[in-house]
Amino acid sequence: MWKYPWGYREGFIITLSVMVAGFAMQLVKGSGVHLPGWPVNGIILVVFILYLILVHRYVKHPLIRWLSSSGAAIASISVFTLLVLLMGFIPQKDPQANDFLKMTGLDHITRSWAYLLTSLFLLIVLGFTIMRRTLPFSIKNTAFFLNHAGLWIVIVAASLGSADLWRLSMSVNEGQVSFTAYDAQNNGYRLPFAIKLMDFKIDEYPPRLGLMNNADGSLKIKKGDKLFEVVEGSEAQLDGWKMVVVHYYENARKNLNRYEPTSMEGAAPAALVLAVERSQRDTVLGWISSGSHKVSPSFLPLNHEVSLAMISPAPRKYSSSIRIYESMNEYEDFTVEVNDPVKYRGWKIYQAGYNEKKGKWSRLSVFELVRDPWLPVVYTGIFMILIGSLYLVWMGRSAKPTAKQ
Amino acid sequence: MTWLEFPYFAFSAIFLWFTGVLLALVRLRGGAVILRDVLLISGTLLPLAFVLLLWDSLERPPFRTLAETRVWYTVFITVIGLVIYYRWRLVWMLIYTMVMGAVFLIINYVNPDTFDKTLMPALQSPWFIPHVIVYIIGYAFLAASSLIGIKGLYQLYRGKSPDHTLWLADNVVYIGFAFLTFGLLFGALWAKEAWGHYWSWDPKETWAFITWLVYLLYIHFRINKKSAIRTALWVLALAFAVLLICWFGINYLPSARSSVHVYST
Repeated sequence: MWKYPWGYREGFIITLSVMVAGFAMQLVKGSGVHLPGWPVNGIILVVFILYLILVHRYVKHPLIRWLSSSGAAIASISVFTLLVLLMGFIPQKDPQANDFLKMTGLDHITRSWAYLLTSLFLLIVLGFTIMRRTLPFSIKNTAFFLNHAGLWIVIVAASLGSADLWRLSMSVNEGQVSFTAYDAQNNGYRLPFAIKLMDFKIDEYPPRLGLMNNADGSLKIKKGDKLFEVVEGSEAQLDGWKMVVVHYYENARKNLNRYEPTSMEGAAPAALVLAVERSQRDTVLGWISSGSHKVSPSFLPLNHEVSLAMISPAPRKYSSSIRIYESMNEYEDFTVEVNDPVKYRGWKIYQAGYNEKKGKWSRLSVFELVRDPWLPVVYTGIFMILIGSLYLVWMGRSAKPTAKQ
Repeated sequence: MTWLEFPYFAFSAIFLWFTGVLLALVRLRGGAVILRDVLLISGTLLPLAFVLLLWDSLERPPFRTLAETRVWYTVFITVIGLVIYYRWRLVWMLIYTMVMGAVFLIINYVNPDTFDKTLMPALQSPWFIPHVIVYIIGYAFLAASSLIGIKGLYQLYRGKSPDHTLWLADNVVYIGFAFLTFGLLFGALWAKEAWGHYWSWDPKETWAFITWLVYLLYIHFRINKKSAIRTALWVLALAFAVLLICWFGINYLPSARSSVHVYST
């Protein structure tokens, strides 16, 4: 050991030492890593690239040669994988984490010194490997370059860019204007523009029929069951009962012992259902309703064991019509929807949520505002890897087997 | 089509594969060859037909629940088995993939899905189908590679050279790994549109990344240490175990309680 050229064993010892040094630093410092933002992170990136190029060009020490070797590559990927595996098993950002996890940073690994140092070592090894294989460039190394440099760019840009990433949350009521958004620590920030919520809309799936245990009010759903939608005239088979939906109102209110349609806020869906037992011995007719934040649900008892219930409708789609004000009389209208954010002056505005207790009667819309100036760099890396992977599918592993059977 | 009709499709498919594989094991002539091909191929067409009809009656793409993805998986893995069989005449790959397909159909039979038409708004995206399909194809190739790995370990145990087997495993891993990469990156591009950021270290993302890293290790290990065959084969077997944790096992991990990737009912 420790005679050049180094191999796997040296690689594992060095990489594990790097990780242990990270844990030690965490214990000494007592806090996680906070990477610097612009312009310091930009300078770090330039220095890092220059360091890789110059050292590759001018330092001919066997240690540098080893850094671009397979031993170093496998060791650094393995130890990095080990850290990500810990992340996979230990709940992250868990406020109930015990002191040991908090001290070592294992409850928030991506912010730990061990993670920073290990991924930095991985990036150095990957960086020197790219230099060695692609300087001078030859066309047959294209796929190698795309995959490896793409990965290097993604990791570097995502890590260095994290300090410049803004993720803010803003809640607006219908008819109101807001220009303040809050980060995860609830610090308020004034935006360079204001958002007015013109209208918030929810489109729902029809409610569904379910059987409820009278004893504890729990839903009785067997695996393999079909969930029946409540639509006027529809029929359903549930546990030996045949149900027919005689009437269905999307918005209804209770009047004595029946329901009637209304457009009042907080109205709930309701249906008149005829339930017939299979042997036809029992017939029950009555109203069911899922209830809402304002009115309580109604169940239809079928026998002493079960009642028929209406399961609250699930949202199909929700969207906000917003007006973004650049100044008092300069504005533009947009619609924000899940999976369809709005781009405005370097920000992306996402439909994040609404008042779920009120459901379709929510007049509140929650937006997430994201600004990520490093995104184009990360995407460059992602597209490089995508093209490099296409090449992998196309070419496969070209080496021929040595012995045929 | 609902899950109530699923057992008919599943057991007919298993019966067709079983008789087809039996015929594949013996030397055939003339019409029997055609019969074998019809049995094998129609066995795979049955789960495909089921999932397409289910798509029609669900009125949404059937890629949301684990049971739905398992049917697609059965289709893809047996197609891969058929392709490898017709391309390289490897009967054992045919048997392995059909057994694997049958196991996945039986899991669905024992643990059936609820017929549920709802599709949450986060999943309503043009990325939904490509993201899941490339993953399922990747998973199917990687399952095939681990079966090849087991065959290699058996050959080593019997004192035979597994070189050719490993060469086949490498090729299949390269294809599977590329699809895994597509799945991961499509997921990142979609997450940016749906959740505001391309990477959130959601437990499912973390495990998908671990799976990707383990196969990355295998590929590098094979390039650099050609002689360490036994280790390579064990890495291949381990990698598939990690993949299965990522796919199903994650639902049982304490670290994954908060995952936004759990879409089952």
